[in-house]
Amino acid sequence: MSDLDLSKELSEYTKNLNKASKDPNINRAITRAVKAYRDTVETTMERHPHTPELAEEVRQIKEYSMKNNKELLERAMKSIEKNMGKAFYAKDKAEALRITNEIVGTGKTVVKGKSMLGEELQLRHSLEESGNEVWETDLGEFILQLKNDRPMHILSPAIHVPREQVAEIFTEFFKKEIPPDIAQEVAVVRDFLREKYFTADVGISGANVVAADTGQITIIENEGNVRLCTGAPPVHIALVGIEKLVPSFLDSMKVAEVTWRYAQYASPSYVNIISGPSKTGDIEKVTTYGAHGPKEFYVIFVDNGRTEMLNDPTCCRALDCLRCGGCMYECPVFQVTAGHYGRTYLSGIGSVWTSFVEGGVEEAAPMLYTCLRCGRCVERCPMKIDVPTMVGELRSKLVSD
Amino acid sequence: MATKKKKLPPVFEILRDNIVEHSNPLALNAKELSSWAKGLDLPAKGQTLYYTGGEYQLLPYIDSLVKTLTYVDPASNIFSWLMEARKIVNMTGINAEKIYASILAKDKERYFSINYQAATILKSLGYDLCYDGKNEIYSGALLYELGFWKDLKEYAKRVAKSIEMTEAKTIVCLSPHAADMFKNVYPTLVDFPEVEVKTFIEMVWEKRDLLPQIDYDKPVVIHDSCRMARELGISEEIRDILTSVGVSYIEPIRNKVWTTCCGGPSKMLFPEISKTVAERRINELSDTGSKKALISCPYCLSALQSGIAKDNDFVLDDIVEFLYRGYKA
Repeated sequence: MSDLDLSKELSEYTKNLNKASKDPNINRAITRAVKAYRDTVETTMERHPHTPELAEEVRQIKEYSMKNNKELLERAMKSIEKNMGKAFYAKDKAEALRITNEIVGTGKTVVKGKSMLGEELQLRHSLEESGNEVWETDLGEFILQLKNDRPMHILSPAIHVPREQVAEIFTEFFKKEIPPDIAQEVAVVRDFLREKYFTADVGISGANVVAADTGQITIIENEGNVRLCTGAPPVHIALVGIEKLVPSFLDSMKVAEVTWRYAQYASPSYVNIISGPSKTGDIEKVTTYGAHGPKEFYVIFVDNGRTEMLNDPTCCRALDCLRCGGCMYECPVFQVTAGHYGRTYLSGIGSVWTSFVEGGVEEAAPMLYTCLRCGRCVERCPMKIDVPTMVGELRSKLVSD
Repeated sequence: MATKKKKLPPVFEILRDNIVEHSNPLALNAKELSSWAKGLDLPAKGQTLYYTGGEYQLLPYIDSLVKTLTYVDPASNIFSWLMEARKIVNMTGINAEKIYASILAKDKERYFSINYQAATILKSLGYDLCYDGKNEIYSGALLYELGFWKDLKEYAKRVAKSIEMTEAKTIVCLSPHAADMFKNVYPTLVDFPEVEVKTFIEMVWEKRDLLPQIDYDKPVVIHDSCRMARELGISEEIRDILTSVGVSYIEPIRNKVWTTCCGGPSKMLFPEISKTVAERRINELSDTGSKKALISCPYCLSALQSGIAKDNDFVLDDIVEFLYRGYKA
């Protein structure tokens, strides 16, 4: 275990932050995104004025769920097995990757939906190292895969890449001239990935919420790539953080609605609800698996530091995070640096998550000290996660250990 | 969580040492910090304690350092040297204030006089203030911010004792950061004296009808401080005060609990980011068309000032300075 020289870490990190804050692409993209986010959320909330009240209810659901996380995990795993799926519990990153790699094997083609947990586990790299061909199917993630870059926002990962740069990347990859026209850029990826969905051996997704009573996982999306990832290949693997569990299906729908509403959608294009493998009883009432969708369905529940977070009296409520991304649009530092203020998890809430799931407070230290503790993220957060207090506690832990 | 051996940036240790050993982040002496009160003859004991915490006074020095820091790597020796003025004092006998002052302290007069103006306004409203300049010590907010909570717990006892000595029943804090510390942080750390904690804004708001009218015919724009608006829940009071003195105001795009941070908290470790954040906030404020913003926090005043370009005629007034116009007229 190497020692931490925070001075040195800060020195490099600061140079990178300063550089990002002067990047005109980041500046232009984030300024537009912040305005669009605020305007859309305002309109959306006017259309659906019950949302803040529903968010309050979801806060209570999340509080109950985290207090009863162990029981919910057991119940959910049983429900998934009853639905003819297979459920696993992975205590850490290594175990989650081992289980996934064992299911996938080698020499396979894998199509993958966007998942923060996938980023946390560096799943694509692990599967590629095992000799598989892996394709990110979310457009933003696909761009980053080709660019060999990392997400700069949890919902809009390629927020920092303007269309002109996308055109250059695609022209090189597809070996034909792709103009900086967004519709044409979207079309070329659609054509390329369509073939991959139907020849892939495995589809991988995350999940926004899981109902313990029915074992149903819910995935919110707009592009339609998750429908294809989870519906076309013969095997579907969902990797889910244990904090996504709630007691009932009805609870999970409430969580889903609040999540997409604060992620600026009145309604997302698609809400995928998956309980088990595809099946039919149309011939002689004999249940047969793998009708049109996957024959095999696996859910891997991943801990990787979440229980430790749950046991922290202050930071436990960070597990309520719905990953709507609203806080980032309100963060004055994120507004000028985008994902350079972070690693996998970004900005203030990201510094709390990094402290538990990505190497401890030492790894999170530069991020923890980047937070202004100004508190505007709390105003936006539907779960009212008190990031400034958590950051204060973690700084204290860092300097006093 | 795994524990590793840690080497903190020198600035962390120096700030901590200065606060713990010398009762303020830059180890300035009490005589210097309380020099603004000359001529006011405020008693050291009384019902209503006027608390500056030395915060406005420290800002010109901090600003000087930050201007240097923008071009100096915080991990470097020069930075450590600048921050260790007090240690140099101990070794050489050179006065710390002189070292700081020799860097750049042109705004000193302005920041020091805000304390005087605020006290004058409160006195004119009928408040009998006491001020214990000799024993007043910094609230310790930076210990809290940097994470030195163990030190703060000990330090807070000294602060609590210094307040107790004044026999005050109410503390009037000029800085919202001090008010936040006393109201929200100290009760979790220490047996804090049973005193009511108020901000300058609240005290003025209660007697706003007695304020003299201000002859200013253009609308001002209000910048809410994060601590004031979010932690202390004070924003409408500022608007009421302006209405009372006959001044119109405009709201910026982000205001009250949605206010945008001035960038001040990043000043020490990330001076360039701090400046960029300040510039963006200045844009939000000046986009209203107003040429003057009113500020009610020393750190906001100082941080936002760094966000104004040289050729920009946009002006920042502390609300204290603005209200004091009524007394000069």
